Amino acid sequence: MSARIHPGVLCGAAVALLCAYVVVVHGQRGGAAAAQNRTTEYAIKVMPPGGPPPRLPDGHVDLSGHWLPNSAGQGVSGRDGVDPAARRQFDPRATPEEKPAFQPWAEAKIKAMTPVELELSKSSVNCMPRGLPAIWLQNPYSTVIVHTPTMMAQLYEVLNNWRLVYTDGRPVPKDPEPWFHGTSTTHWDGDTLVVNSVGFDERTYVMPTGWFHSDAMKVTERYTRPSKNYLIVQITVDDPKVLAKPWTSASRRWTLGNGEVYEFYCTNNHELDELGKLKEQESYGK
Amino acid sequence: MKILSRFTIAAVVAGVIASATPSFAHHSFAAEFDASKCRDFSGTLTKVEWTNPHGFFHVDVKDQDGAVHNWSFQTYALITLRRAGTSLELFKQNIGKEVWVRGCEAKNGRAFYAAAGSLKFASDGVLRQMGQLQD
Repeated sequence: MSARIHPGVLCGAAVALLCAYVVVVHGQRGGAAAAQNRTTEYAIKVMPPGGPPPRLPDGHVDLSGHWLPNSAGQGVSGRDGVDPAARRQFDPRATPEEKPAFQPWAEAKIKAMTPVELELSKSSVNCMPRGLPAIWLQNPYSTVIVHTPTMMAQLYEVLNNWRLVYTDGRPVPKDPEPWFHGTSTTHWDGDTLVVNSVGFDERTYVMPTGWFHSDAMKVTERYTRPSKNYLIVQITVDDPKVLAKPWTSASRRWTLGNGEVYEFYCTNNHELDELGKLKEQESYGK
Repeated sequence: MKILSRFTIAAVVAGVIASATPSFAHHSFAAEFDASKCRDFSGTLTKVEWTNPHGFFHVDVKDQDGAVHNWSFQTYALITLRRAGTSLELFKQNIGKEVWVRGCEAKNGRAFYAAAGSLKFASDGVLRQMGQLQD
């Protein structure tokens, strides 16, 4: 990295950060609009709890809202100067997330992938639905939840995907069709909505690390809303063909936003062509 | 030179910030673009493609030999640009005007194609993050 820095500004990393901060904040006064923009961006902080959560007519917690995957309740990606605590969904020092324990064959399969092959496997690169549980684990965009006593609709910005979860206690069928979001049954555990799902399309990945799954995968989602502004989602993946033991995520925070929800149809994807050329070049080099 | 130095510092900090925070991008920058081939570009904005999963903008850049080439720069997904305050209207207002870009070239050798890390329209001078800058 240092090779690209102008010789006159070769200071240590910490000093460079300080220098650059000063430049970004004080060097961009190209007009009132620019100054206003900076002021707004630097005001992004962790959102307060916001009081008790709303309730459905049946007394259960209402999970409805426009949820953003950070602790700020607004867009933070692509912005400078955001409070680091406002960016994240969990504090890895306070609640570290365990690493998945793979079956040896699965671990070997993942490790054998080249970086380009790994990239080409990703749902995002292929404009494929993230599916469950990835939609809650690798989704940088917002999700709108519409919750009634008998149904929870999840409207995902990414790829304009959506999912309906029936909360009327209906069981899953014996042999469900393979769906990207599986087939679910739910129950309440106090103020926690527990969603158990089976029957997944095998083209999805749990994480964009090559973590694939089998047809035996079972997913448990635990939804809580401890206060008005926060949705907590915790995922457990039980996949005995691929994992040596079930894996449980950290409790990930989503915050209530009031901004716009944007359209996202994946219609101009150059990734497959560009990465495909790179893979060809890798093959020639072997 | 003074201005370039400021731009360089700002670009470096954008990269440091981007690399120190969780990736919110559509995919991994490092797989497709070469972090050892990042540099500054100055030129005239000619076109914008407001599309997903990435936007693209095109800039006429005069190279050292005097030839002008039309570079294509990839951006974040539009949702990320919009939430960070960068709109299609802003790009349209700057067509035909000067811009500065910090970008990294494609690993597969495609000519005049790069990922944009940050962008400045000369019209307002605001440093706008366009993608993962990892130099």
